Amino acid sequence: MIKMHNVCKLFNNVPVLNNINLIIEQSIVGLAGPSGSGKSTLLRCIQKLEVLDSGSIECNDSTGFVFQDFQLFPHMTVWENLTYAPKLKNKTQDQSDSLLESLGIASKKNDYPSNLSGGQKQRVALARSLMMNPRILLCDEPTSGLDVATIVDVVELLQSVRDMGITMIIASHNLDFLTKISDRIILLKNGKIIVDINPKEIDEPTNYLKSNY
Amino acid sequence: MQELISNFLFVGTGLAFTLKLLIGGLLLGVSLGGLLSVLRYNKICIPLINGIISVIRGTPLILQLSVVYFMTPTIAGIKLNIFSAGIIAFGLNSCAYIAEILRAGIETISKNQFEAAKTLQIPSFYMWRDIILPQVIKNILPAMINEIIALLKETALISTIGGVDIMRSAQMLAAEQFTYFIPLCLAGAYYYALVLLIEYIGKKIEQKGIYDKNA
Repeated sequence: MIKMHNVCKLFNNVPVLNNINLIIEQSIVGLAGPSGSGKSTLLRCIQKLEVLDSGSIECNDSTGFVFQDFQLFPHMTVWENLTYAPKLKNKTQDQSDSLLESLGIASKKNDYPSNLSGGQKQRVALARSLMMNPRILLCDEPTSGLDVATIVDVVELLQSVRDMGITMIIASHNLDFLTKISDRIILLKNGKIIVDINPKEIDEPTNYLKSNY
Repeated sequence: MQELISNFLFVGTGLAFTLKLLIGGLLLGVSLGGLLSVLRYNKICIPLINGIISVIRGTPLILQLSVVYFMTPTIAGIKLNIFSAGIIAFGLNSCAYIAEILRAGIETISKNQFEAAKTLQIPSFYMWRDIILPQVIKNILPAMINEIIALLKETALISTIGGVDIMRSAQMLAAEQFTYFIPLCLAGAYYYALVLLIEYIGKKIEQKGIYDKNA
């Protein structure tokens, strides 16, 4: 569970997050909003990649982060990307084979990231985060740069992650994608929460969100 | 032919000294250059380090070599031998350039690579050793090869303070035979062969780092 209390974040004295109060429990939460609305910043604050200017974020669960541009380590093979961090922590690496298998990239195990397609890199990035057994997974724009067919795959992929009992917070400006996958959608605008809905409870959630965009 | 071979061998007597200067200067240059680029992350040290680099790059190497060799007895009361003076001067000189090369190399690594390591809870030491430095080294390799080649040729300045390297051996031969043509050609051949060798080794190392040939 994540509890945010009056979260504020400024960049060059411009508020990017403005008094955010949120409680997130187990589910898939979609963060929607136009560019610059604070979606990514909120994720980065949860992951402690940014320091808050005021307010607090209470999060006792381990978190994993999937970057928009994946940030795989280019000089390591897929296998090394997955197992490097768990090895350092003396964590088990047993699940790496089954993870690669279930994500459909087992054959790419010994390839370097430069030989992978965008969708494959996305899977490796996801698998790398899952290797650390996070309770909460933060995904920044998981569909950017992917084609329509691959986005369908990503939806299935993320649903299977949810089935592992992992809470996910997904920042995206792809409303169709978010309504398909999320149990709860939060629309941010200028660093404030404008809409907080369950897309399954309203008709045409995408249009509803668009009208508030 | 017999004479040419003996001339060739005579010039070659300076080869070991040249190589020792190159390797010694390079080791000192890389260590000090690495130290400078790490200290640059400390705000207090930045003006000092920028000053050092600026002065070293802004004065001729032959002057620096003379300062180290001729002025240390006055300043520090130590009489350095030619070899130590050479290592110190060449090491100090190349450390300024290497610090700049390293800085450029580290700056090409995306900030997100550091963050990715952080999100995976990789401790700082391992992050630098296994994630950042291998990428930095790959990026700076061509520039480093350049620096090594430049340093090799600069070691010829040791002849100005009496060090018997390839250049000095050629000059000695010329003085003995009253002709410059053959000795200088032979010295040039030695330097050129060494440069080709360094280039070859550099290419081999670059080819080994093929991981992002498509990137």
